[in-house]
Formats: sequence, structure tokens, C-alpha cells
Amino acid sequence: MSKPNATRVEEFKAGKGRRFSLGWWVVGVVGLLFLIIPFFVHDPYFLHIFVLVFLFAYLGTAWSLVSMAGQLSLGHAALMGIGGYTSTLLFMELGVTPWLGMWLGAILCGLVGVIIGYPAFRLRGPYFALTSIAFAEILRIYVENTEVGPLGIPLKAAMGLLVPLKGHAPWLFQFDSKIPYYYIAFLMMGAAVGLSFLINRSRSGFYLAAIRSDQDAAEALGINSTKYKLIAMAISCILTALGGTFYAQYFRYINPERAMGLSMSVEIALVGVVGGWQTVLGPTIGSLLLSPSGELVRAYFGGTYAGLHLFLYGLLLMVVILFLPNGLNDPLVRAFKRVEARLGEGNKVRKETSPPGSRKGDKP
Amino acid sequence: MGILQVEKLHKSFGGLVAVHDFSMVVEKGEIVGLIGPNGAGKTTLFNMVACFYSPDSGRVVFDGRDMAGMRPYHVCALGIARTFQVTKPFVNNTVLENVMVGAFSRTRNAQEARSKASEVLELVEFDQYKDALGSELTTADHKRLELARALATHPKLLLLDETMAGLNPAEKLHLLTLLRRIRDRGMTLVVVEHDMKAVMTLCERIILMHRGEKLVEGTPQQVANNQQAIAAYLGEEYATA
Repeated sequence: MSKPNATRVEEFKAGKGRRFSLGWWVVGVVGLLFLIIPFFVHDPYFLHIFVLVFLFAYLGTAWSLVSMAGQLSLGHAALMGIGGYTSTLLFMELGVTPWLGMWLGAILCGLVGVIIGYPAFRLRGPYFALTSIAFAEILRIYVENTEVGPLGIPLKAAMGLLVPLKGHAPWLFQFDSKIPYYYIAFLMMGAAVGLSFLINRSRSGFYLAAIRSDQDAAEALGINSTKYKLIAMAISCILTALGGTFYAQYFRYINPERAMGLSMSVEIALVGVVGGWQTVLGPTIGSLLLSPSGELVRAYFGGTYAGLHLFLYGLLLMVVILFLPNGLNDPLVRAFKRVEARLGEGNKVRKETSPPGSRKGDKP
Repeated sequence: MGILQVEKLHKSFGGLVAVHDFSMVVEKGEIVGLIGPNGAGKTTLFNMVACFYSPDSGRVVFDGRDMAGMRPYHVCALGIARTFQVTKPFVNNTVLENVMVGAFSRTRNAQEARSKASEVLELVEFDQYKDALGSELTTADHKRLELARALATHPKLLLLDETMAGLNPAEKLHLLTLLRRIRDRGMTLVVVEHDMKAVMTLCERIILMHRGEKLVEGTPQQVANNQQAIAAYLGEEYATA
């Protein structure tokens, strides 16, 4: 209460109202923990689980950019597949390093995303979701049954592509230890979350929120909704394609059933839905929960109860949709705010600015 | 040459003719009231001016530009803002964020949009609610929120669709003062309203629509004393007003 009220109002207008944020501290500390884990833990399997966490957090964050525009994509695996296949084929056939090839895959996916999105985004309803499934399945079936594609591209049908082994070759996106993959995946996740955060704070973020809330009102306020949906889609597709290259380089193998299949699309979407689709940190939270549990269940029960992880995913999905339809992000944010209110004094400002009449039912 | 010219607009939905051969001119700085019974075509007319519907025939000229083939988001850039009869707040966002979306139509910068939105909220005396979520507000508040959001786009012409409905007398009086203040800042207003007292005191000119057509046009006094207007909509009590 040291500052006069007028200064507070000025601060609020300048967006400096919040001085203490527990959320930022937690994100910072967890991020730092992830950075130093490989110094203490050398077990490759443990690191592998973290690589999966980061990869799916990355893919989920990319996916959530489309859902921020109010659209549900259930075909994001196709984009991953296109990205992975493009960089791998360029490497196998022309010797182009995946570091370069991944960007070609990304550009290709950006274009593909706009081409799929343009007709579907102009309609309202579940048409985009249906289109995305159809596109991914058509692509998977095509690749699974095509030995040699157009222009003589050796797609190798259902067998998939083996990335030629070059040993420790950083220049070719190949490492003999898990640690570089760990840091690359971590960086990719950080970059995607950072991008999502920046988009959300910018005009585009406000516009996407407006579009998913009420498209008519958004258009009346000058928002070209199709354009902003397409921008979100293109960015999401580009990021997903880059994830596809990482996937291919990390597993050194890519096949249509896994990399383009519906189950991969669903896993990407699930991470987002459980954590909180349309939120910045939701997919990361979802991946932190789902990726290790799925992997551990697969490792321990995979032999006796194959597919148990899918059962677990289904169960989790039901629980989340029933009790937390907006995902785990919202209750976590609320819990943080409550703790913040007790710790910081920033809450005093907020209490002053929301009068008793601001709640429904308070006014006659 | 008015700021808005509507020429022989026609729109039908299937067999139902919603607007038929309707023309009007709105001068800059005017407050024009659009009245008429339910189903007279007032909102359809609004939707055509705001390019939510395209007319079957006829045209709308705003600020010297033919609006044929434009989309709603073009209209906002030209300087027309509207509110909705059934309010459409962004329920998961705060009041300030709602208004910022409008302000973003004139700037890319989030800081600028924030200060512009705060200004507008002060103007409509709604700034004490800026942190409330859209879903926490009452219907009357939603109306005011829509007005603020529309104002934040910095329009030349404001189309208000039943902004008074659901407000109590004190709130109505307050809004009337506010709308006059907005007009004095150089904006042109076209209002659709059922509250006759409000329309009569606010508007300089009134157009009575009936079954998609213009039935009567004139000053509030002229309309109130017009036999056709009384028969179609107003009823006997306004004859002596």
C-alpha cells in the first residue's frame, strides 16, 4: 500500500500490475532442473523417457496452436510423417543433411497445412477435424502401398525408411549418446512454448481467442478469421514437420503406420487435451503426465498386456473430460494464484480493482 | 451526400421478404433511430450494412465507397462498428481484453491497445469492471461491453442494435447521455430501439420500418403524430406526445 492509487492505475495500464508470479518461478525452476538432469543421470532409458516427454510436449504445443483458433486437428501425424520422410529421403537419396532437409519438410508442411485449411476453415462445425483425419489416413494408406512414388521417390511402402547409420556425426543430426538428443528436444520444446507464449500475448493471440470464442463478434471487430486460422495452422504445421525430422533422426527409422497413423495423431492431441488445449503450458503439463506413464506401462506390461497404455490413455481422457474439461492447466493456474495471493502482495491490487458488483447476481 | 447511403436494398430468406426496396441516407454526425415491430427487417438491414448478409439487390455506399462484396472485417477497417442484439461477449476473457480486441483493429502494439481500451472503458464508465470475466457479467453489462468494444475500433459510424433492452431506467438515462457524448465526438449513430421514450429523446430523425419497407420518416414529433405510424406500431398513447 505504499504507492498512491493513481500510480497503480498507471501501472495497470502499462501492464506492470503483476510483480510477483509463482507460475514463472515454477517454470524457471523446472526448466533449470531439466537442463542439469543429464549431469547427474546417465541411464539411457531414463533420458529416453525425458526425450519422449519433450518431444510430445513440443508436438502438443504445436498442435495446440491450431486449437487456439478453435479448431481440432486429428491428423497432425501426417505432418510429422511428411517432415520426417522429406528430410530422411533427402538425406538417403541426395546426401542432404537433415539439419537442412528439415526446413524443406517444414516449408512443404506449411503449404500442405494452408491447402487443407483453406477450404475447411471457411466452414463452421467439425469439418476441419474430419478433413484432418481423412487427409492423414489417405496419406498413410498411400505411402503404405507405394514402393516408388512420383518422380521415382523410393517411399518403400509399409517397410518404412531406415536412416543410414553414420555413427557420431553431429553435422548429420546423428549422435551416439542420448544427451545431445535430450538437449535438442528440450530446446525445441522451449522454443515452441516460448513461441506459443509470444503469440498469445500479441495481437494474433487476442484475435485467436476472439475467433474461438465468437467468430461473428470477431469479424465485426475487423478480424479476418480465415486468415488468422490459416496463420495458426501454418505455424503449427511447420513446427510439427520439424518434430517429424527429430523423430526420424532419434529413432533412426520412420514408417507410415507409426509416424502417420491415427494413433500418433490421437497421442499428440491427447497430450494437449489432457493438459489443456488452447493454453500455452497445457500440452507440456499433459506430456509430463502422459509420456512417462505410457512409456513405463508399455515397458513393464507390454509383453503380457499389450495395448495397456492405450487403455490407460482412454481412462485418463475420460476422467479429464468429465472433471476438468479445460485440462489440467486451469486448476493448476488457479492453485498457483491462490498460493500467490497468500505469498505476494500483488493480490491487494487485484482485490481493489474488482468491486463486489463484478460478480453475476450482485446487481439488481 | 450522407456518410451512409442505402439504395433500394432487398433481401429475402426463401419466401420471406425481410427487407424490400429500402432506401435511406444518414448524414455525418446524425443520430438516426430505426424503429418498427418485431420482424420489420431492422436487424436484417443492419446485417446488410455491416456486410454480414449480402443484399439480393440494391447497394450500400459508406463514405463514398460501394460496399458490394465486402466481408464484415473489411467493414470495420472502413469505420463501421456494430453491436449485436443478442450480445456476443468473449466470455473467457476479461472486460479489458474484450475491448482490447476492438482496439487492435487500429494498432498492432499490445501496450497501445491496452491504453486505448482503458480510455474507452473510462469513457463508458465501465473501467471498474475491467478485470471481470465476460462470463461473470449481467446482460446489461454485456450491452455496455459491446458498446465499449465497438467504440475501441474507432468507428465513424456506429450501428447499435437494441442497446437499451434489458436496462433499468437509471441505466437507460445514463446510456442516453453517453450516446450523446459519443456523437459529440464526431461519430454518426444509427440505433435500433424498442424503447420509444429513449428513441424520441435521443434521435434527430426516426425511420419506421414495417414489413421490410420504410413506412414513415421524419423528426420524432412528425413520426409520433403520423397516423400510419400510430396504426402500425406506436399505438394511441403517442399521438398526444
